[in-house]
Amino acid sequence: MTAVHPGYEATPRRRWLTGGFWSLERAFERARASDKAEDDTRIRIFFVLALFAFAFASLALGATRAAVFSGLDKGAAFRAAGAARADLVDRNGRMLAADLLHYGLYIDPTEVWEVEETRRLLLTALPEMSPARLDRVLRSGRRGFVFGGLNPTEKAKIYELGLPGVSFEPEQRRIYPLGQTAAHLIGFSDTGGEGLSGAEFALNQAVRGAKPGSPVPLSIDLRVQAALEEELYKTAQLHSVKGAVGIVTNVHTGEVLGMASWPTYDPNEPGRASPDALTNRAGASVYEMGSIMKVFSVAMGLDSGTVNIGSVIDASSPLKMAGRAVRDYHAENRAMTVADVFMHSSNIGTSRIALMAGADTMLKYYKDFGLMEAAPIELRESAKPIAPRNWDPNTLASASFGHAISVTPLAVAAGMGAVLNGGTYVPLTIKPVAPGERPKGRRVVTEETSKAMLDLMRANVVHGTGGKANAEGLRVGGKTGSAEKPGRGGYQRDKLVASFAAVFPSDGPLESDRYFVLIMMDEPKGTKETFGFATGGWTAAPTAGRVIDRIGPILGVERVAELAEPDPAAAAKLAGADD
Amino acid sequence: MSLLDRKVRGFKLVDVVALGLLAALVLGVYLAKTMAGRERTEIARIERQIAAERGRIRLLEAEVSHLEQPSRIGQLSQAYLGMAPATAQNEATAEELVAIAEKAAKAKPKAPAAAEPAEAPAAAAPAPAAVVVAPALEAGQ
Repeated sequence: MTAVHPGYEATPRRRWLTGGFWSLERAFERARASDKAEDDTRIRIFFVLALFAFAFASLALGATRAAVFSGLDKGAAFRAAGAARADLVDRNGRMLAADLLHYGLYIDPTEVWEVEETRRLLLTALPEMSPARLDRVLRSGRRGFVFGGLNPTEKAKIYELGLPGVSFEPEQRRIYPLGQTAAHLIGFSDTGGEGLSGAEFALNQAVRGAKPGSPVPLSIDLRVQAALEEELYKTAQLHSVKGAVGIVTNVHTGEVLGMASWPTYDPNEPGRASPDALTNRAGASVYEMGSIMKVFSVAMGLDSGTVNIGSVIDASSPLKMAGRAVRDYHAENRAMTVADVFMHSSNIGTSRIALMAGADTMLKYYKDFGLMEAAPIELRESAKPIAPRNWDPNTLASASFGHAISVTPLAVAAGMGAVLNGGTYVPLTIKPVAPGERPKGRRVVTEETSKAMLDLMRANVVHGTGGKANAEGLRVGGKTGSAEKPGRGGYQRDKLVASFAAVFPSDGPLESDRYFVLIMMDEPKGTKETFGFATGGWTAAPTAGRVIDRIGPILGVERVAELAEPDPAAAAKLAGADD
Repeated sequence: MSLLDRKVRGFKLVDVVALGLLAALVLGVYLAKTMAGRERTEIARIERQIAAERGRIRLLEAEVSHLEQPSRIGQLSQAYLGMAPATAQNEATAEELVAIAEKAAKAKPKAPAAAEPAEAPAAAAPAPAAVVVAPALEAGQ
């Protein structure tokens, strides 16, 4: 006889159990068969007792554990005050954004004794509270949320009123203690803890997934950011600009050390900002950047072997093309070397270099400089360029001096890095790169070309249009740009995008630390001090110089005695002439 | 007579011992639970205190970050102390400090009056204590 179904196949463990059970049962049978029935009973009683003893012991242990050691989950108490989103800090650990414990105010109307008194006291203590919402909750008959975001002081103030039915629930709130500082780069998040713009959006996963207490660092240096913003905003207000952008990068690592966009906003109250102020012009807006694009065109000409520094270009008369003529704003009306073309910002000369190189070469280099795509950076705001589809000679000439193609300031900064760091294109990043580490990047131009461009940019500050950007001892190099903005019926002479692309220090070995600064003003107005000029040489270049003068020591760039100083008179003469 | 069958005042010894053990266990569990409850309350209180302190520390850190932001310090120092961003002439390396100190030491005996400004700049500006700080975080940020 068997107790299991014949078709039942026991697993090894069950087989062991059933085997043990039947072995015991057979022991009882053997005891009965040998006329020792009392042994059988004793064994059965002992067996049942043992089972009960085991069960009670287990229960006793469980009860003791529950009574003595329950409720000691140490993490639980801290999680309430912990952060749903990790802190954002700058590269030196300075706090940029943090989740802070706040309180939501709730009312249970069934416990409220004096409705009118409660209403009056709460509205007096918290004037910004919505009376309509308070009334709705007081009339609802069940506990409801009334007001959120109370800080501990405000909570204590309400608590001390001793109002029955009023209670508080802890809630996390994202705080940006620096207010408007680096607002566009840091961005902001919604009340649900999801990033909506800037680094908050770009690094959302990292910020939400970071270990408690581990902040997420950004590449910016708060000191650099502050200097950049102060100088940029001062100039923006002085020249009544429509918008302005400032970017500081490390050309070797691609790290963004500072980024500012004007007008700006307070990320603590993004709802109060206009869409215009919320726009990060550094990444989300595209511009025809004007003559700073000549850096790319001349680098292309040199690197492709189309020209060399000493090559002579005919700029003696306007370059006539189908339906128009390319002119220089401060025409020299002479044949120029490539160096002169760059320093006098000659549209004719740059156009001729582009035409000599041809559309295929030009397009290849522009693609390699990253100008034909959105700047590769974590920021989702990074916009694609508006580039011409047909690269005919007319377009080629226009693109060579920064017209016909609209790019973001970030894309320009990334491309400039490739020209100035020894020739490799390194994507920009808002995450800090480990000290001593340098991303490999991809080669775009040779080291010789890079060196030549550094020398040309320095010469442009010493002898050319960028004289007002010089900062004592910091060997600033740069290129001005002043592009007329396209509008109805063609380009508008009175609306400029003025810019200055600067590098410092421009000397020393190619692998030495080097920084790029871009200042751009959208529709600056001339002032008495600038003799009515609103060009890059008069607006953006001095701003770049002041920024560099302030951030140079912060970045560890040593001032050295300069052999050649810019001639102020020559710089003033040329500054108004750049295009 | 076996130990299991021995009786004390009519009760089996084994029953008396078992009852005694049970009473001891009940008392032990009661005492342990009471003490544990007290300890647990204390631990919970300390944990709440730690959490509150941590929250307070974070709040203070945010406030420090707000108050120490370079642009704010710059504006205040310009507005109230007449300071300006350092220029190249204001900078010196560690090696140059000795020469600067020697130069200053030489200059001092010749022009003692120069060491004391005729009009202390601080007198014209409000004292640092009067600096109006931006609203602290606790006050609404």
